[in-house]
Amino acid sequence: MSPHSKTTNNSQSAIFVENLSVNYGDKKVVDNVSFSIDPGTVTAIVGPNGSGKTTLLKAVLGLLPIEGQVSILGAPLHKVRHSVGYVPQRFTFDRDFPIIVEEFLRLSLGRQCSAHRIVTSIKEVGLTPLVLERKIGSLSGGQLQRVLIAQALLHDPAVLFLDEPMAGIDMAGENAIHEVIEHLKDDHGTTILMVSHDIVAIACVADRVFCFNKKIICDGPPKKVLTDESLTGLFGSKHLLHHREHRR
Amino acid sequence: MPLLELLSFPFLQRTILAGLMLGLLLACLGVFVMLRRMAFFGDGIAHASLAGIAIALLAGLAPLPVGLVWALLVAMIIFWLEKKSKLPTDSLIGILFTSSMALGVILMRFTPGYQPDLVSYLFGSILSIQVSDLWITAGLSTVILGWLFFFKRQLTFMSLTEEAAEVSGVKVSLHTLILYISLALATVLGVKVLGIVLVSALLILPPATSRLLAKNFKQYFTLSVIIAELTILIGLLTSFYFDLPSGATIVLTGTLLFAIAALIKGKTI
Repeated sequence: MSPHSKTTNNSQSAIFVENLSVNYGDKKVVDNVSFSIDPGTVTAIVGPNGSGKTTLLKAVLGLLPIEGQVSILGAPLHKVRHSVGYVPQRFTFDRDFPIIVEEFLRLSLGRQCSAHRIVTSIKEVGLTPLVLERKIGSLSGGQLQRVLIAQALLHDPAVLFLDEPMAGIDMAGENAIHEVIEHLKDDHGTTILMVSHDIVAIACVADRVFCFNKKIICDGPPKKVLTDESLTGLFGSKHLLHHREHRR
Repeated sequence: MPLLELLSFPFLQRTILAGLMLGLLLACLGVFVMLRRMAFFGDGIAHASLAGIAIALLAGLAPLPVGLVWALLVAMIIFWLEKKSKLPTDSLIGILFTSSMALGVILMRFTPGYQPDLVSYLFGSILSIQVSDLWITAGLSTVILGWLFFFKRQLTFMSLTEEAAEVSGVKVSLHTLILYISLALATVLGVKVLGIVLVSALLILPPATSRLLAKNFKQYFTLSVIIAELTILIGLLTSFYFDLPSGATIVLTGTLLFAIAALIKGKTI
């Protein structure tokens, strides 16, 4: 399937990427990648460690110097920042640092952020308002991940970027993240581009999958793309896929 | 000597006023120093400022303004090298601060006679604060605290999750540069009271003590300032009463408050 198979029009795409390359010194980490993503869909990027998945996501978000063209909602990122949310992969901080969830959430919007909006956002990710008074260092991995998503949701983003949202959390936390992603897609029409190494999780939530190793190797719906053959080609060895019933 | 009589000495009034301004400034910046784990930055800048002070003494200029300009340059070089070099930031700071300090020592060799200013800069002196120092401290503190007041949210956001902050529109590079410059200036302002060797303690001790006691970020900020001001006041008065070096006495007062907070909370530090 062509990377442009779903949408080829820049202005109609939620995310449009053309001839994108990223170099670290002499090393090409993302090699001339092009794709477009339709509004309201969930797209997952899978690939082995070091394949450049996170680099691709950061390049699309303008966090790295790039060659090529990227537009989000038909415009350069700096013009549509208020419509974009991003949940980074690593959130390493001093666990004893005295900042509570409510204060943390307010960091992204400040005084424009009403108490009602914060409560709504925290409920949307399946947490109770009681968590607002807790220090962020006291949260479990799954709760922290949902708080990070809640912070990104305060902008009511049309496009949400998630970097390894299921990494390092238990099964209950993972299921909760699935539900949040489905809720955002179904009830808000949010376009989601996520990076994940968790093939099973992706099979459950994604509409479209990019197999990525410096380039897009395969592209399509999970059931077509996440086959033993393609995953073996991607990961370099037999990759056992335990099919889980796709929820949609 | 009664306290009121003590406070009638102009030099002590100047020192206390400078100390209180520095306490407020260094405690507010120290919150971000702790959050970003960059305690070595303040220490490095303070030591690096020796070269600026040596240049001033050699050229017969006022040490504080030259020290401030020198620290500003060092902060900008650290920021630039961080972007260009593959070396870790602490290594960059280590190279710059030892080189700058070594340059200061060599320059001092060419400065004739005994240098009382140098001794006061190394270890702090309550006798060394002039009215002009007060004005410089007040002016720079106002500018830096104004920036902190208006951009505290953005600074906190980028200190916790830099990339998410950048995507949301925070100008991370610009604020990082301003933070480095502010830290450099604040550290050099504190050198006269606390000394090059000890000034960074005021960036670290009050926020570290506050961290043990605070339940949220607002309390953390407020308590850091209160603890810094208490540390300065108790330390300065103690140093005057017992004729002790001001910098060392202030630092030990801060350490004592930290130990008391740790004992009260019964926390592992």
